[in-house]
Amino acid sequence: MRGVRGAVLLAAVCGSIVVASLHVITAQSSVPDITGSWLRQGFTVGVRPTGQPSPTPPPPAPPPPLKPSYLKEWQDRVQAIREADAKGQPLANNAVACLPDGMPGMMTAVFPMEILQSRGQITIIEEAYTQVRRILMDRPQKSLDDIEPGFYGHSVGRWQGDTLIVDTIGVKESVRYQNVPHSKDMRISERMRLVAPDTLWNEITIDDPTVFEKPWTFTFAYQRMKDYTLLEYICEDNREYSDAQGRQQIRITPPSR
Amino acid sequence: MARRTGLWSVALLIAMVAPALAHHSFAVYDHTRTVTLSGTVTRFQWTNPHGFIEMDVTQSDGTVKHYSVELTSINMMQRVGWRSNMIKAGDKVRVVMAPLLSGDPVGLGLEVVLADGKTMSLPVPAIGSFKRTDTQE
Repeated sequence: MRGVRGAVLLAAVCGSIVVASLHVITAQSSVPDITGSWLRQGFTVGVRPTGQPSPTPPPPAPPPPLKPSYLKEWQDRVQAIREADAKGQPLANNAVACLPDGMPGMMTAVFPMEILQSRGQITIIEEAYTQVRRILMDRPQKSLDDIEPGFYGHSVGRWQGDTLIVDTIGVKESVRYQNVPHSKDMRISERMRLVAPDTLWNEITIDDPTVFEKPWTFTFAYQRMKDYTLLEYICEDNREYSDAQGRQQIRITPPSR
Repeated sequence: MARRTGLWSVALLIAMVAPALAHHSFAVYDHTRTVTLSGTVTRFQWTNPHGFIEMDVTQSDGTVKHYSVELTSINMMQRVGWRSNMIKAGDKVRVVMAPLLSGDPVGLGLEVVLADGKTMSLPVPAIGSFKRTDTQE
């Protein structure tokens, strides 16, 4: 009798495992396919997106809802940049030093972007400066103390139905998007979803109670570029440099090699 | 290869109202006039973040003046049809460039007539903001 009960129990357990496995396989195969090359809608230079047409893009980002003292710092910087440009003596920025945008700037995708879905990870490569970020899937986010701050931070993600939800922390304070200041505690949330077969929207929310009155949310739209392979981009010879006053200067003589 | 800069420049002008990609500034270049240079290439530098055409231009008094013409990212150039083998040292080219405000012999290349007579544009963002006067220099 025990033997039969044991066998029945074993069969039931095995059956449950098989059924559970089928559910997992089904769930994974229903995950949207966002693998491929993408280009920011509206930034097509000489290339046309080759997928199906895209709906009207989302509205541009609202100004950052900074707290008064941070807002002034930001506005002063933007004003200084405008005035320097008007004088023909622009201020140096990270691009002069061949530094990449980091997060969330790389997601502006003004050069094409590649998304690769693999087991346990989604990798996003931005052609400009050959930037790479890794989204670790279905894992808990680390504590900020366990992350070395960097250009891209530490990202974890999960699928919620048709939406990829990503959480990123650990972006260095010196890595600013649109010159907007932030603290070490800045948190970037992304919700990525196919709004049309070949159109991906990324709703980005920047959360940082130290500097913001409320979260800053804006959406980027990307169009699929079928049959486009990303090119490399090495910031090899800038010829620009930052002088002692922080102004952009150009080196006139070409490199010797 | 048809020039497509005209169409794309409008889209870019609109899109670039809020600059998104951190980029060194083109504010150092004159937006009110362009100069045309006819000369011989000494070097075609195919690099990011931007390429360069180095060229020697013989002046009316017979002396040779060297110019450096800044181009856009070679990635953007490739996307509008440029290849690194289109220009080489020794080629006689004609370049339209927006000169540096400082007066140094450097400019932002807007258009190049290659040695074989083909005209190629540079996919400069907001190219419509540069006024074309094309004064022969």
